[in-house]
Amino acid sequence: MPLVRTDRLTKSFGALVAVNAVTLAVDEGSLHSVIGPNGAGKTTFFNLLTGQLAPTSGRIVFDGRDIAGTPPHGIAHLGIARSFQRTSIFPTLSLLDNVWLAAFARQESWRGLAWRRTDGYPKLAERAMAMLEEVGLAGKHGEPARAISHGEQRQLELAIALAATPRLLLLDEPAAGLSPDETKKMVALVRKLKGRYTIILIEHKIDVVMSMSDRISVMHFGSVIAEGVPAEIQRNAEVRRAYLGGIAPP
Amino acid sequence: MSRAWLAILAAVVLLPIFVRHSIATEIWIFAIFGLGLNLLMGYTGLLSFGQATFFGSAAYAAGYLLKYYGINIFLALATGIAVGAVSAALVGYLCVQRSGLYFIMLTFALNQMFYFTAYQWTTVTGGEDGMPGVPRPSVLGLDIHPPLAYYAAVALLFLLSLWVMRRIVESPLGKILQSIRDNELRAEALGYNVPRMKLAAFVVGGAFSGLAGVLYGMLFGIVPLESIGFVFSGNVVFATLIGGSGSLYGPVIGSFVFIWLSESVSAIWARWPLLLGVAFVVVVLFFRGGVVEAWARFWTWRAAHPATRADASR
Repeated sequence: MPLVRTDRLTKSFGALVAVNAVTLAVDEGSLHSVIGPNGAGKTTFFNLLTGQLAPTSGRIVFDGRDIAGTPPHGIAHLGIARSFQRTSIFPTLSLLDNVWLAAFARQESWRGLAWRRTDGYPKLAERAMAMLEEVGLAGKHGEPARAISHGEQRQLELAIALAATPRLLLLDEPAAGLSPDETKKMVALVRKLKGRYTIILIEHKIDVVMSMSDRISVMHFGSVIAEGVPAEIQRNAEVRRAYLGGIAPP
Repeated sequence: MSRAWLAILAAVVLLPIFVRHSIATEIWIFAIFGLGLNLLMGYTGLLSFGQATFFGSAAYAAGYLLKYYGINIFLALATGIAVGAVSAALVGYLCVQRSGLYFIMLTFALNQMFYFTAYQWTTVTGGEDGMPGVPRPSVLGLDIHPPLAYYAAVALLFLLSLWVMRRIVESPLGKILQSIRDNELRAEALGYNVPRMKLAAFVVGGAFSGLAGVLYGMLFGIVPLESIGFVFSGNVVFATLIGGSGSLYGPVIGSFVFIWLSESVSAIWARWPLLLGVAFVVVVLFFRGGVVEAWARFWTWRAAHPATRADASR
């Protein structure tokens, strides 16, 4: 049974249909990639899943519940976490606080919200450190987030999403703007997460997507024009014409 | 106990020796007012230009009950805190719907609305003349009419307020508010109901403003109309910026600088606001973190220039 599926999900801005009747199902524990040229509607699709935008029509069913129209903070409590294409962190706060805030948000109870000192939650601090460890930033936990490199901020972005104990992890181009070396590290990181989380991945680097994904959906002008396992996508003529151009092997 | 707390304790003890008691008292009252604003402005990134709304409403409400119903001091303080919090909840609920410039203008506009209500409602507030005759009841049989006794009572309440505010900014809520200041969208995506958290900051800030308002009314025995006016709102923003917004002790230092300048220097030099203007320009241009940042930078500079230190000690 899929953990999340969308049913003719549509979002239009005036005359522009950014996401057009997208129907898609993601199985628990799988890594499902969404690819497509710039402006295909991938990020808008994510914004619908996370409640940043309300769909014009269609349904989003997460764990058997229709969640379309739930505000972003409500979505987070259902266990859907995301990373942003453009790094979205808390620049003046320490790396540890960045991650700690994500962990605290998902606490069953917010006891001591306005009174207990933040170091009075040993389990959360432990969890936050473990997440920094996972992305390789534990050594810099005390530094403010604005002081680390762009590559490290991308890693932090991922650590924040992981600290929210997601049941569904949405990764929006985790390797955006990274150098080849940093990209390699990020790809290794995402590969490590595969199987442990249900992941929807937006990515431009075709070789990465082809080697990692369980299934791939291809978006073009707001619609899904193809869906299948990597080998099927590679063979699909329409996809090649729309997106892969000449670079895909015949 | 940290060095900052020792410095503040020393200031509390020494201030009445060097400064007129009423001015010394006003400094700590204004500091409490600044603590409340700082939670909004410094920690949450919400520039409220209407803090006098809560300060003045509390001063009038508690002053009225003190004057006509002779309520005891504890009830007066509780009334002030409650009226501050409730008025902040009402105003905050409307203001957090908007952000940026619109937010600022809303806080300002609502402040004006409260001001003109107080101005017109002469039977209760005395309008332009203010509400005179606010008594200063005793505390458990202790007479606080002598200026030094009232100073001590206010100083104690200030220390208590500072301690409470420290607990709040070091709590998860404090962290959440800072995360909203840094990146609202991300805070929302993590699962924080941003408008509700902002409202919480308003209510807490309003409670502090309310406490300051009652103490102010009892200090001068009158609730002047200015106490609910926008100039008052501006002053507390001003003082907090000079001291350093976003740091716990910033508004305390700012209040000291502001009240001391306005009360002491004004006696010597009628053009004293000029000094404030210069201080403000210097802060905005060079020390966004106010005196607190200037201080920190000075010590970093000293550490980086050991030769200068050797010269100085010779």
